Amino acid sequence: MPTDYVGVYILGVIIVLSIIGMATYYLIKSLKRAKAIGMSPAIIKNAIKSSAVFSVLPSIPIVIGVGVMMSYLGLAIPWIRLTVIGALQYELLAMDQVGITQAIPTPELIGTAAIIMTFSIVAGPIFNIVAYRKLQHKLVDLERNNKRLLDTITGALLGGILAGLASHIIIGAFFSGGAVAEDGITTAANGYITLITLAISMVTMAVCGILITKLKWTKLENYALPITILVAMGSAYALTFAF
Amino acid sequence: MKKNTHINDSDLFAESFHKSGRLFTLICLILISLMPVVYCITAGVTPIWTSILKAIPFMFSYILIALVEIFSYAPLLSVGGQYMAYITGNISNLKLPCAINAQNITKTKRGTEEQEIITTIAISVSSIVTTIIIAIGLIPLSIFGKDIVDVLKPVTPYVIPAIFGGLGVVLLARYFKLTIVPFAIMLVIALVTFLIDQDLGQSVMLTIGMVISLISAYIIHKRGSKKIKLAEARADDFYSEEEDDLLAD
Repeated sequence: MPTDYVGVYILGVIIVLSIIGMATYYLIKSLKRAKAIGMSPAIIKNAIKSSAVFSVLPSIPIVIGVGVMMSYLGLAIPWIRLTVIGALQYELLAMDQVGITQAIPTPELIGTAAIIMTFSIVAGPIFNIVAYRKLQHKLVDLERNNKRLLDTITGALLGGILAGLASHIIIGAFFSGGAVAEDGITTAANGYITLITLAISMVTMAVCGILITKLKWTKLENYALPITILVAMGSAYALTFAF
Repeated sequence: MKKNTHINDSDLFAESFHKSGRLFTLICLILISLMPVVYCITAGVTPIWTSILKAIPFMFSYILIALVEIFSYAPLLSVGGQYMAYITGNISNLKLPCAINAQNITKTKRGTEEQEIITTIAISVSSIVTTIIIAIGLIPLSIFGKDIVDVLKPVTPYVIPAIFGGLGVVLLARYFKLTIVPFAIMLVIALVTFLIDQDLGQSVMLTIGMVISLISAYIIHKRGSKKIKLAEARADDFYSEEEDDLLAD
């Protein structure tokens, strides 16, 4: 594993503290505002609990992503990169622009990869500083003047996310079939396991929905999605031994 | 009168989030950008500039994707959520599903301040939990190294199907009309791209999906507006006929 430097770890700690500080600030401000407009404390408590529980499982693959990247970049750089804006698939593509996975990772290569990984993804935050306020004002105007259109837009965007991801998952799974392609960096999905995981996730959520609506298991409502993810990922893990 | 005060308060609240959001984003952006600089200084190396120049088309493509994404996610994330999500990342696979889940559980209405608050809370909590888990994860990674990664790595490709299967059921139930047409079109696009061996990847497919969905929704919205106008016109005709009858009587 390439050498890590204390300076990079110190910067990582500062970044982590800044992110936690930012999130805590928004959390406290939102809680105060919720109280001011008379929102029920039970609803707020539900939102906090469900969000915390929900975030645990999808965070584990991010940690694994740090582990996948550490052979090429050491531990500190992947930790910082996956703590801030980006995602594993993007980071892998960005770092491999210097062919780091095919070569011995020298400090020069790592430094160059770090620059590409960092500066390819800064457009979003820069946009937020420069223009997001104006965009948000336009959205508020739209909401006040044509709420129906804004509702359609937000519904369409959510539907679009689902359409884009689901189509890629399903068709991709059919094409990869039972082959487990190893590219040496990540494990590509086995198509059959992907489809079964997707189906198990859908069925589990549908069962939770029935239990909540028909049998009035209202307490399950807060944990339906985390339970669904847990069941689906557990099944996927078990299936990796079968296929 | 009370309603106006409420709207002003809400605007002021959003405005304070813009101010702090821009400041936090600027600070974090500087810190994030410092990482390669600190690495190169502490390692005592200079980057390979020719490799960076060669990577410009790649960097440019990601800038374009980011710009399309930011317009698409903006109506779905709250003001605070937008600033946080674009610092902490993992939006489509973590922050957005977490926000949608919280909105569903708390049954807040779209476009209300309540939903804005719930979304901000969900993304704040998610950011804190994820940041802490990644930091804690460094301990087993530094002790066990690749061994622990090899044990858990096989399950990583199945996180997205595990999240979006369940979330898909919720979204389909709610937005069936808006989702079914773009889904059918995206299936065809995915089929064609895979047939010609040009997998576009999840982030590009997601962006195309949102654009197609917006066009399809706009058509549905226009048709809906026409129907409403027709119904209003019919109602006007009906009432004017009734008025004529009354006047004739």
